[in-house]
Order: sequence, then C-alpha cells, then structure tokens
Amino acid sequence: MRKCSRRPSGRPKLLALLLLVSIGTGCARGGAQKTVSISGSTTIFAVAQAAAEEFNKRNPDVKVTVQGGGSSAGIEAAITGAGDIGMSSRDLKDEELKAGLVEHIIAIDAIAIIVNPDNPIKKLTARQVRDIFDGKIANWRQVGGKDVPIVLVNRDEASGTREAFLKKVMEGKKFSKDAVIQPGSGQVRSIVASTPAAIGYMSLGYVTPEVKVIEYDGTRPSKESVFKGKYKLSRKLKLFTKGRAKGATKKFIDFFLGDWVQKNIVSVEFIPVRG
Amino acid sequence: MRLKEQILEKVFLLSAFAAVVGVILVFIFVSIKGIPIIKSIGITKFIFGLDWAPTDKHYGILPLIIGSFIVTFGALLIGAPMAIGTAIFLSEIAPSQIKAIVRPAVELLAGIPSVIYGFFGLIIIVPLVRMVFGGSGFGLLTGWLVLAIMILPTIATISEDAIRAVPRSYREASYGMGATKWQTIWRVVLPACKKGLMGATILGMGRAIGETMALLMVLGNAPVVPKSLTAPASALTSIIALDMSYASGDHQVALFAMGIVLFLISFSFVGLIRLVSSRG
Repeated sequence: MRKCSRRPSGRPKLLALLLLVSIGTGCARGGAQKTVSISGSTTIFAVAQAAAEEFNKRNPDVKVTVQGGGSSAGIEAAITGAGDIGMSSRDLKDEELKAGLVEHIIAIDAIAIIVNPDNPIKKLTARQVRDIFDGKIANWRQVGGKDVPIVLVNRDEASGTREAFLKKVMEGKKFSKDAVIQPGSGQVRSIVASTPAAIGYMSLGYVTPEVKVIEYDGTRPSKESVFKGKYKLSRKLKLFTKGRAKGATKKFIDFFLGDWVQKNIVSVEFIPVRG
Repeated sequence: MRLKEQILEKVFLLSAFAAVVGVILVFIFVSIKGIPIIKSIGITKFIFGLDWAPTDKHYGILPLIIGSFIVTFGALLIGAPMAIGTAIFLSEIAPSQIKAIVRPAVELLAGIPSVIYGFFGLIIIVPLVRMVFGGSGFGLLTGWLVLAIMILPTIATISEDAIRAVPRSYREASYGMGATKWQTIWRVVLPACKKGLMGATILGMGRAIGETMALLMVLGNAPVVPKSLTAPASALTSIIALDMSYASGDHQVALFAMGIVLFLISFSFVGLIRLVSSRG
C-alpha cells in the first residue's frame, strides 16, 4: 500500500507546486506574471524544453518550466489553471471544447508505425494496420511475414498519440484490449526494439535506428511526404491557453511560433508550421 | 523524574494515536472521493463490469480485481515456500558463517525500492519469459516471479521469528526420542509454529496485493481477464497509478473507488491474520 502513493500523486503535486510558485513569484514582483508553466504531451516535451531553455536565456526575468504527463494531463492543467499552457498532440474532446481554450498550432507531426528491425515486413496497408490493432489479424503470417503471433504495443489512454491514431487509423474500430500498454513513447520504442514480433506507433520525432519504420498505405513518413500531404498519418501539435494568452505566456508562445524556434528546434523533429 | 515519565508516556501515546488517525483519515478521504461511484456508475456495474475503457466511459473493474488476485496468489505459491524454506534454513540448519551472509541478504532484499524490482523484471525476467514462452514477455507469470522475490523477505523474517519462538525443549525431546533433524523440523517444529507461518504468509499477501510500481512495469497493463499466464494483464494498483495523472470526473471517482476496494481487501487480510492468530 505505501508504495502505491508515490507515482500517482507525483504529477498533480508538482503541478500544484508550480502553481504555488507562479502565484508566489507573481505577487512578489508587483502582480506581473513572471513564471510560465507548461505541461502535457510527451511528444512535444523535448521541443518545448529546448525552446524554454533558449527563452529563459533571452528573458532572464521570466522562468518557463516544462513538464510531461500526456496530452490529457496538459489540457486538464490548462482548463483548471494548474498550468499556464497545455501541450497537446490531439484535438480537444467535446467536453473540453466548452472550457474556453485557445489553440496555438506549433508544428505538424507524423505518426510512424514501427516494428522490430528483424521483422521482414516493410509495408502495410491502412486496412491491415487497422485489423492488426483491432485484433482481427493476430499473426504476422496473415500479412506476409513469419508465422508468429503479433505482439501489440499500445499507449495509455492519456496519450494524444493514441487518440490521434485511433481517429486516423481505426475509423471507428476499437483497439484490441490484449495489447501491452505503456505510459510513454520511450517505453514503446524500447519494447518494440527488443521484441521480435512487436508492432507499435509513435511520433516520427521519437524514432531511432533501434526500430524499423514501415510504409503506411504506400508511403514512408518523412517531412516531405507529410508536407505534401501524401502521408496520411499526421496531426497538428498544439499549445492551449485558457482564454487569449497574455503577458509572459503570450511572449513565450510568440517566441515558440517565431522563426528562431521553428527553424532551429521544431524543424529538427517535426514539420514547422512556417517556412 | 515523574514528570519525564509522564511526558514520555504521552509522546508514545501520541505516536500510536497518529497511526490510528492516519488510517482513519486516509479511509475517510478515499471514501468521500470514491463513494459517488454508487450513483454515477452503479456498484454492480463497477465491481462486476468486464470492460475497463475510461475514454468510452466504461468503468468495470472485474478484470483488474481478477488480475490482482491471480498475481497475488501466484506470487505466494512461488514465494511462500521459498521464504519459509529460507526461514527454516536460517533458524534450524545454517551454520553461523552462512547465516551471516544469508540473513543480511534477505534483509537487504526488503529494502530495495519497488521501482528497482520493476526494472529488474523489465530487463531480466521479461526477456526470459519472452524467450521461453514467446509473446511479449509481459504478463502474470512475469508478475509472479518479480512479486515472489519481493515478498520473500517479509515472509522469511516473520517466519524465522515464529520458528525461533518454538521452545528448545520441543526439539530436545524430539531428538531424545531418536528423531532425525528432518523429522524434528517437519513433525515437531513446523506444526508448533503453524500459526506464525500462516500469519507471515498473509502479511506477504498484503504486501503483494498492494504492490504497484513493479507490476506497472512488468504486467503489460492490458485491462482484460488474462487469457493465459503470459498474456498482458492489469492489477488494481497499477491501473490507479497509470491513470491518476490525467483522470477527471467519473474516471477519477472510479480510481478512488478502486482504492476503497483495495482498502477492503487489505482489511480482510488483517482480519484474517487476527483470526488465525487468535485460534488455539
């Protein structure tokens, strides 16, 4: 029992702490907001972290702090005010639409479908991918591979990547419930890298040579194929603020969307929204 | 002097009281947050529902309860005999030099953080199970093996105490009748401390059902009634940990209600220990 309290309370506590800090410093400096807390999607996390570092360097009077937690956690934080900015790799759900969030699109990302490098499969059709994640196709032999049962690796329900995948690939079908569920893209990658029969998906920015990206519906994901609209499995990465961004929060978002960050940070992993 | 005694008495009373208040406060808090489940989802749909899919607003936790129990009993099946064997070895058989190595090792095992066990499971046991049985390597069997090692020190240390509490005269009488060491252990010592061993095992059970982090890392977290021992599964605790960071509304209520269920299971284990140790 005593061990189980550690992990779940970690993030909300940290968020609460951040909120306290932001209130505290805000008041101390005469009401002006000097701390910007940003949390959510683990897909955007690394990029936001890098942008925040540069922003802090240029604006020593403002402190930007970045946290993960998954898209749903970020949106939740933006709605409740526990954070200033929520990062999300999915669209808002119906019940979140009413909360008065304003979206800022920061990049376009492709979701890559990955398998173990030892897997001879090089491409799958949209329908095959759907049937695999739906559980209808359960053996690699059915799609021209070896005669081994497929090991599905899926993300947890807080994941924006999962949500986007569900919407774009599954077309109303449900995910098979027999999949291994992992709370982060990093874990998905390491399991697919070590399990010969595994298949999973993640942001193209997360892909390393440990795993093999396969063609989806005849196209390999790349910046060009996404940009030209050929690769279908893409989504927008967004920042959400409650109401219109103001003060330091606006300054940071403008910086994020500005040429420097888009060119030097965003374009390394994703497709920038400008240029 | 008198005053000092009184102050000390109060200090100890206060610390004992803190434990009681702690339990009550946690229980009340979890209950307040979890009880609305009865209205929002319905108790039967919650406890006996087979579908756990928070995004679709399905909150049935039966697969998770089943997962929790199977993983706990499997871990006991492997861990308890090993632990009691360790206890017998330490108290009855081992020469003092070997004892000096084994006992600290067992105690150290108790102090390892559960995330490290999870890591060990992920790096060593998951690939091992995958190699032998195929599939992903995540699942109940992996959970059993990891948990068995985790509960070993709990059961072993308490069992050892129980075995040592058996009066020396019992053993001497047994040897005096011409019994061998094995006969003495099996026919005299173990029956004499049966209650203590059962108590130790139940305590290990409590440890196992509450384990979270390690299970989150090795079970595979599929919220289904597992089809086989090597298919991904979930436990109540691991799902609470997985979902807590983003859950809101009914989903959050469901997680707290799962906390109540875990509480009740723990209570019944404690009750079981009381029952076992009060019977003559």
